Amino acid sequence: MDAYVIQGMHGLVYGMLLFLVTSGLTLVFGMMGVLNIAHAAFYMVGAYFAYTLVAWTGNFWICLILVPIGVGLIGAFVERVLLRKVHALGHAPELMLTFGIFYILAEVVKMIWGTYPLSVSPPSILAGSIPFAGGIYPTYRLFILLISVIVLLILAFIMQKTRIGITVRAAVFDNEMVDILGINVQAVFLGVFCIGSALAGLAGVVAAPFLTTYPGMGLEILIDAFVVIVIGGFGSVWGALLAALMIGELQSFGIMFIPQLALVFQFLLMAIVLVLRPQGLFGEAA
Amino acid sequence: MTALLQINSVYKDFSGLKVLVGIDLTVEHGERHAIIGPNGAGKSTLFNVITGKYRVSNGQIRFKDQDITNWPAHKVSRIGLARSFQVTNIFPSMTVYENIRNVIVSKKRMRFNMFTRLGNIENVNAETREVLETIGLETSSDISAGELAYGHQRALEIGLALAMEPELILLDEPTAGMTTEETRDAVKLIERITAGKTLIIIEHDMDVVFSISDRISVLHYGKILATGTAEEIKENQEVKKAYLGSKK
Amino acid sequence: MTTIRIRNIIFGLIVLILLIILPFILSEVQLNMAIEIAFFGLFAVSYNLLLGYGGLLSFGHAAYFGTGAYFTVFACKFVAGMPLFLAVLIGGLGGAVMAVIVGFFCVRLSGTYFALLTLAFNQLIYSIALKWRTLTGGDDGIGFDKPAIHLPLIGKLDMFSTPNVYYVTLIVVLISLALLWFFLKTPYGNTITCIKDNEDRAEFIGYNVFRSKLTLFTMAGFFAGIAGSLFVIFAEFVSLDAIGLTMSTEILFMTFIGGTGSFLGPVLGAGVFIYFTEWVSDITEHWEFFLGLLFVILILYANKGLISLIPAKLKEFFGKKAPVGGER
Repeated sequence: MDAYVIQGMHGLVYGMLLFLVTSGLTLVFGMMGVLNIAHAAFYMVGAYFAYTLVAWTGNFWICLILVPIGVGLIGAFVERVLLRKVHALGHAPELMLTFGIFYILAEVVKMIWGTYPLSVSPPSILAGSIPFAGGIYPTYRLFILLISVIVLLILAFIMQKTRIGITVRAAVFDNEMVDILGINVQAVFLGVFCIGSALAGLAGVVAAPFLTTYPGMGLEILIDAFVVIVIGGFGSVWGALLAALMIGELQSFGIMFIPQLALVFQFLLMAIVLVLRPQGLFGEAA
Repeated sequence: MTALLQINSVYKDFSGLKVLVGIDLTVEHGERHAIIGPNGAGKSTLFNVITGKYRVSNGQIRFKDQDITNWPAHKVSRIGLARSFQVTNIFPSMTVYENIRNVIVSKKRMRFNMFTRLGNIENVNAETREVLETIGLETSSDISAGELAYGHQRALEIGLALAMEPELILLDEPTAGMTTEETRDAVKLIERITAGKTLIIIEHDMDVVFSISDRISVLHYGKILATGTAEEIKENQEVKKAYLGSKK
Repeated sequence: MTTIRIRNIIFGLIVLILLIILPFILSEVQLNMAIEIAFFGLFAVSYNLLLGYGGLLSFGHAAYFGTGAYFTVFACKFVAGMPLFLAVLIGGLGGAVMAVIVGFFCVRLSGTYFALLTLAFNQLIYSIALKWRTLTGGDDGIGFDKPAIHLPLIGKLDMFSTPNVYYVTLIVVLISLALLWFFLKTPYGNTITCIKDNEDRAEFIGYNVFRSKLTLFTMAGFFAGIAGSLFVIFAEFVSLDAIGLTMSTEILFMTFIGGTGSFLGPVLGAGVFIYFTEWVSDITEHWEFFLGLLFVILILYANKGLISLIPAKLKEFFGKKAPVGGER
């Protein structure tokens, strides 16, 4: 298989994983105006939960169901109990709070699981490589792709075709109006927050056997997630998809062609977008 | 002598929504000009465009025969043009005294002075006290602006514009939400402070409009239907049809 | 003079005398902590210019601290016979220049966008510093060969004795704090408060909000740079840690925990933070968890920081937010 195709696939896989993480984050920001830094911690917690669940039961598949539920519940707690308290105080306290929660969760993870990287083995059927596009490609990465695409399709379907989806989109666009129309905005917020957190948890599960499971994984994905959100646009799921794929490919080919500058380029791009078009490619004007 | 304010064919749209569709307006020195019209007609947008909050989509604005089109708000405020807001826009965490003092400091171009203690600058203190007396808030000067009674907040709102010592003062619905008595006091205040200055006032209260203004412009869907004296406007057929149907 | 002022002045003098004799009553370890609290305190006060006074949450303030540290090292390295205090000033100027460049882009934005852009710039500066090994030593960092100070009557003061480093740090920090305290009482200090309270109206009464905020951002960068210089004099070494995200978040913790609503609150925060890192870490290896917990609890229940929990009498000394304008 061509080296470029392989790099391209790697970029695609990481990009879709990034999308899985950022879709919830961007929805929450678009709707509630809150950039939930703790979201990256939910991702990390998802990976660690998967590690423990697999260690206990030897079954990776149930992680895909149970872990997102668990993380979703944590998300519910965070939103209901913690975030609501500071919502009225403004952007800075909210941002600081989500950051504080991120920090605490990272420390709790260290306390429970230690600071060394853990390895989570994928189920044997997903280990190894299979024939793909004229060559072979690691099966697990294709699995990541599969899961993310399934999630994307489900999300797209819900958002476009169901009443819940339309309500959510309306709330992202103008939550005061939705409130006036008699819809329980608080419930919608809570729901979106939970689903978003669950998605982050799912991404964590999926990432665990693929990337290193270690306490810094939250921060690692957080920075990339921020870049994606900024470029794709706050509140836009399609923007998140496009930007995530872009960053995935940028990192993949960046490492290939300009290893010295790949990192610099990413932040430069983030800065440029924020300066020229703060709402991102697809976001609503600030 | 050229008019103090000239608005020539000003258009303003927001992503396709046309709010101002060709405004032509002249305001003379010393004139008291009222702008009336139904909600959504574009009155506040017109103020925003004149004072630099929004850029025009087309057209020109001239003040004292100088082209000020698209000047940023702080620049416009420094050449003798001040405005008040329909929704009270004061400095809520600062005291009444500090609110007015903010304007005096700006007027005296001391905004970047890092060399003297503000509390010691006597002429700033004196002028602040003067303005407070003019708007009748000298006894409330230590009260936090956010805690003022509504009527006093509106007085402070006007005071912030007045303290600039502008030649042209724009008041956006200064009597909004006031009782009849508060309105009467407000009108007296407005007449007092605009003596010798030029005034443009947006108002819904027709009694205020007819008692204060020399000329009236009727704004309707982003266009000026008619401009004239109170009598002329009252007789104007189009105006009657569009706006003055209801009694006030 | 009122009795309150006399009382404050006497109290201030007592504190000053205490500060001067500190090297004689503290152990070496404790004195080192005191030095750290001093320059981190200045760093935190500079950060509070943005957070507390300006209402601007920045996630990238370490960029100016680190730049200050590096510039001080470069100054002494590339110019023979560079006086130490001049090197410190150069550190401050380095921080200021970096801040004016970054601020030019950031200050137009507000809220979350501002925070993210400061983060992006911090990461950008970090990654450039990382790659530019020839200048910054990259991962490895560079050592600082600190020059001695030559004073007319006293002679040579070498900077390897802890009390000497302490006094240099103390003098620079006290002067910087005094300058800042005064700035905040001037009309410019009022400009900042005015803009923070209602930026929109401020524009309409003639304030150029962009220029005012940029000036504030630059000032904060300058004093962060000074703090960075003092840091490298103390640590004798500078690495990417001084310019990275961890440092930026630590300064946020320090400043907020101490209290953003008062001038010296952040210094208290620096003290608490250093205490945590030195002593709580002896009790439990999970001191960072407790730090984070403290931070979150304060956000929820006492968002003016620990200093707001100190009884009113003591508060008078710490001066709640330099009363802008003073007496009338």
